[in-house]
Amino acid sequence: MTGTAEFELYNYLRSLRENLVDIPEDEREDIIREINAHVRDRAQEPNHSVTEILRRLGSAEDLAAQYRREALIRKATGSISPVVILKATLQLATRGLEGLAIFLGAIFGYGAGIGFLITAILKPFFPRETGLWVGPGVFDFGIHTPARYGDSVHEVLGWSYIPVALVLGLIFLVVTTMLIRKWLRSRWQRGVKINSIAHAAA
Amino acid sequence: MARSSLPQTITPPADERWEQQIRKGALEMATLAAFWSGRLYGLEIIRLFEESPELAVGEGTIYPILSRLKNEGLLSSEWVEAEAGHPRKYYWLTDAGRARLQHMTQSWTDFSREVGKLIKPVIAQQKEKGTK
Repeated sequence: MTGTAEFELYNYLRSLRENLVDIPEDEREDIIREINAHVRDRAQEPNHSVTEILRRLGSAEDLAAQYRREALIRKATGSISPVVILKATLQLATRGLEGLAIFLGAIFGYGAGIGFLITAILKPFFPRETGLWVGPGVFDFGIHTPARYGDSVHEVLGWSYIPVALVLGLIFLVVTTMLIRKWLRSRWQRGVKINSIAHAAA
Repeated sequence: MARSSLPQTITPPADERWEQQIRKGALEMATLAAFWSGRLYGLEIIRLFEESPELAVGEGTIYPILSRLKNEGLLSSEWVEAEAGHPRKYYWLTDAGRARLQHMTQSWTDFSREVGKLIKPVIAQQKEKGTK
């Protein structure tokens, strides 16, 4: 390859490496090595300039994004971090209705879990406003002004609200995490539609 | 709705999207099938697909798919020194990959046979029109 072609390839691989920072180093270098070999092999074919080869590979950003998407979903199948799991489900939400439903489920589950935890923390600061409110047609966890429901509705847990809300919050977080991980794992093992072949017909 | 109005409601972009979905769904199986006879490196897969316009894919698509199939345990890989002056990464099917491909092949065959029965009259009519 000419010096110009080498420089062009060097810049492409550098950009690819920069866009793969989220991926473990050994895996990242393996990808760089493979794309480097691809370009050098292709360049030996007649009528294949490095510029054209790189154009057909797509931009370094797009190529890296495909690897990163898969890495994120793979990471989420073994993660207990709600942030990682939410990111992965957000990726899947853009690829179909099933993914969107799982994302909305994750938002609900984590939202409820975090909501319970927050109210447990706030109970000491707003003891009369925070709790489980029960009355005719009312069964409501959360923070309310006593005037909201009138005299017929009462807070029934008192200070017991704190352990109850903590347990419920943790149950929501753990169950949501376990269910989504189980779904991600089954989808991953089946290898159906969660792959990053959105550019298949590029 | 009159049947004769149906073709007018389907725009070319909708046709293209449908074709893309078909290709997306089949690409993983086609990639695994390419390894049925032995080990290959990425560019060899791309060249194989280039032989048929129906299978041609973006070159940047194949490598992330190979990476994913390897991470799923369906392919194994190793770097092999080549005469080209740089090593190449060869892939081959694992036992799990062979099992998955056989399952996919069965599903594909069953599905296409049933769809084939449904579209048989359409094909017959198209042939009839073609001969007129």
